Amino acid sequence: MELTTEGFVVEEGMDQHYDVLKELGDCHTMLGNFDRARQCYEEAALLAKDRPGPHVGRGVVAMQTGCHDEAERAFNEALRLDDNCAEAYGGLAMLYQQRAEYPKAFDYYLKSLDRNTDNLVALLGLFQTACQMGSFAKVIHYLNVYLERHPGDVSVLFCLATLYSHDGRLDEATEAIQTILTLDASNAEAVQLLKEVERKRAQASSEAASR
Amino acid sequence: MIAPYDTKCGPLVSVLVPTFNRRRYLREALESLVRQTHAHFEAFVVNDGGEPVADLVASFNDPRLVMLDRRENRGKAASLNEALQHARGKYVAYLDDDDRYYPRHLAALIEALESQDNCQAAYTDLYKVHCRIEPDGSRQVLGKVVNISRDFDRFFLCHFNHVLHVSLAHRRDLLARTGLYNENLRVLIDWDMTRRLAFFTDFLHLPEVTGEFYGPEGACDRISYRMRLDKVEYLKQVLTIRTARPAKPWPKMPDLSLIYLPDTMDAAAGETLRHIWLWTFMPYEVYLPLPPRQISRLDTDMPALVPVHVPDGTTRAARLNAALARATGDYVAVVTPSVRVQEMWVEKALYAATRDAEGKTAYALAPAEDGWTALVVRRDILASARAARPNAGLRESLEAAGISLRGPDPTQLPFQFDELLLNAQALEAEGAWLLAARSYAEIGRRYGNQRWMRERAAAAYFHDGAHNEEALSICRELNATQPTVSTVLLEAKLLKGAGKFDEALALLNQAEAILSSER
Repeated sequence: MELTTEGFVVEEGMDQHYDVLKELGDCHTMLGNFDRARQCYEEAALLAKDRPGPHVGRGVVAMQTGCHDEAERAFNEALRLDDNCAEAYGGLAMLYQQRAEYPKAFDYYLKSLDRNTDNLVALLGLFQTACQMGSFAKVIHYLNVYLERHPGDVSVLFCLATLYSHDGRLDEATEAIQTILTLDASNAEAVQLLKEVERKRAQASSEAASR
Repeated sequence: MIAPYDTKCGPLVSVLVPTFNRRRYLREALESLVRQTHAHFEAFVVNDGGEPVADLVASFNDPRLVMLDRRENRGKAASLNEALQHARGKYVAYLDDDDRYYPRHLAALIEALESQDNCQAAYTDLYKVHCRIEPDGSRQVLGKVVNISRDFDRFFLCHFNHVLHVSLAHRRDLLARTGLYNENLRVLIDWDMTRRLAFFTDFLHLPEVTGEFYGPEGACDRISYRMRLDKVEYLKQVLTIRTARPAKPWPKMPDLSLIYLPDTMDAAAGETLRHIWLWTFMPYEVYLPLPPRQISRLDTDMPALVPVHVPDGTTRAARLNAALARATGDYVAVVTPSVRVQEMWVEKALYAATRDAEGKTAYALAPAEDGWTALVVRRDILASARAARPNAGLRESLEAAGISLRGPDPTQLPFQFDELLLNAQALEAEGAWLLAARSYAEIGRRYGNQRWMRERAAAAYFHDGAHNEEALSICRELNATQPTVSTVLLEAKLLKGAGKFDEALALLNQAEAILSSER
C-alpha cells in the first residue's frame, strides 16, 4: 500500500459556506420568506461567482413575487455561467408558460429535460404546455424516460395515461391506469380515467361495427 | 506570579504562541485565548524578529500574557524553545498566531488529562478553515471542515503526523525526555515533537472540535508551506525526523536493531543502506558487522549506523552474533543481501512481532536463501537461540529453539484501517454508495475512529439516495453530541428533501453561525 494523504486527510469543504447559503435560500423560498431568500442567494453568489445556483434561486424568488423581468435576467445570468443548467432552462420555461408563450415554454422545457430527465417540475410543465398546444409525442417520450427511473410515480403515470387516452392509444392507457391502481387502489382520478378509456373503447368498437 | 496549581482553577497550563509578521491575525488568536473557560494559564508570545506586536499584547492588559520579544528571526523551533525556558505549567499547549481556540479548548484537554493516568498527552479535533484572502487582507470563510480526526496510532504517527500541534496539550515534564524542539528543522517541526512524545506516552483523542486553523486557497504564506516546495530539502528534513532517537528508555516505542549482513561493502550494499535510510519510518539503528577494511569503503553520513568491526574471514553466523551482542533494540531485523528495501519493507513484520505476546514466532521479510532468512524477531528470543547454536545458520538456530518462522498474516498487518478506508473510497468513486456506507460503518466498528467513519457513512447513504433514513439517523446522533458544519449541513439537506423546511432552516442557521463567526 502506498500511503498518501488522500486517504486520511479530508480536503473537501471549499464549497461548504456556499452550500449552506444556497440551502438557506431554498428553504426560505419554500417557506415564503422571499426577502431573506434573496439575501441568502446574493451572499452565496458572492462566495461562488461562477456557480449558477444562486441566480436560479433569485429567479425563482422573482417569479414568486411577480417580478418576471428580474426573473428572466436571473435565469439568463445562470445560463451565462453554465449553458447546461437544467434548472435555469426550466425556470425560463415556467416564465414563458406564465406569459402564455407556449411554443417558447415547450422548447425550454425540452432543453431542461434534455439536460436532466429527472426534473419532475419540468416534466409536468411540459405536459401542461403540451396540453395547451395539443402536441403530445415528445411529452410521452420524456414521461416514459422519467418513469424508467421512477416507476412508482403515480402523478406522472396519470399524465401518461391521459396522453395515451387522448392519442387513442387505449391499450397503453389502460396498462398505465392499472399500474396506478395496483399502487393506489383508491385513486379516484385513475378510476374515473379508466371509465373514460373504457367508454372510448366501446365507442370505437361500435363505430367499427357500424362501418 | 501565577501559581503552578490552584485548587479552584486546576493545573497551570503554559501556552506557547510563536508569531512572525502576522500582527493582523494575532489579536484574534489572543482574544480566543483570554476567553478560555480554563483561565489558569500563562501564555508566552514569542515575536520571532517580525513586526512589533508588544503594544498589541500589552493592550490586553492581562498579566497572563507574557511578551518575549527578540530582534533576530531564528525560526519557530527556537521560538518554542525560548518560551519553554520560561514555562512553569504542569501542561504545555500551543497556539499559532493565525489560529483560534474555542472557549472550551484548554478545559477539554486538561479535564481529560487530569481524569486518567494512562496518557500524558491529549488532542482534540480542529476545523480547517478554507478561506479566501481578500485584497484588504481579511479572510472570507469558504468552509470549515474537520480534515483530520484520527484516533492515536503510534505506527501511523511515525509515518505521518495526525496530531495537529494546536490541538495538543501534554505534560511539560515529558520534554525532559524528548528534548527540546530541533532548531535545525524548518518544516514539520510539530511532527518531530509529537513523534518524540510518542516514545514516552500514549495520546488521548477527544473527537470534539475545540478550535480552528486557517488554510488559504491557492499559494499560502506559511513558512512551512513554502519550505515544502524544495523537495530535496524537505526529504532531508523528513529523514532527520525519522531518525531522531531520544535518550532511552522508551516505554512506549519499539526499538528495532537492523543487522545488515552483506558479504562485502560493495555498491549494492551501499544502495541497500541508502534505501533503508530512505524507507524505514519506525525508529531503528543499523548494525553493520564487517571487517574495518570493508567498512572504511563506506561513504555516508547516514545517522543511526553502528559499524561492528569483525576480523577478515569471519563467517556470516559469527558476524550476526557480533552484531547481536551490540544491539540494544527490543526487536531485531536480520537483513540478508537479497532483501528488497522499499516502502513498508520492515514495518509489516515489526508490527506483527510487536503484537505477538509470546514472541515465539519470527516474521519473514523475504524468501529464504542458503539457510538464511531475513526476518524480524524479539531480540531476547534470537539471542537465546544464537547462544544455544552460535555456529548454525539462522533458520537452524531458530528451529532448534522452537521458534516458528512465517510471514505476518493479514490480520497482523499495520494500517489495516487505511487499507479498508481506501477500499471504501474506491467504492464511492465507482458510485457504489451503499457498499461504501456499509464499509465505513464496519470499519468504524472494528478499527475505531467512530465519529469520522460514521460521518462518512452518513454522507455515503445520502449519496445513495435510497437510504436517507439511515443517513438521517446517523446525523441526528452525531449532531446531538458532536455537531460539525458538515454533519449539520447534511442533516439539513436530508430534512429539506423530506419537506421539513422549518427544521432544515434551524440547522442551516446553526451551520451559518459556525461559519460566520467563532464559537
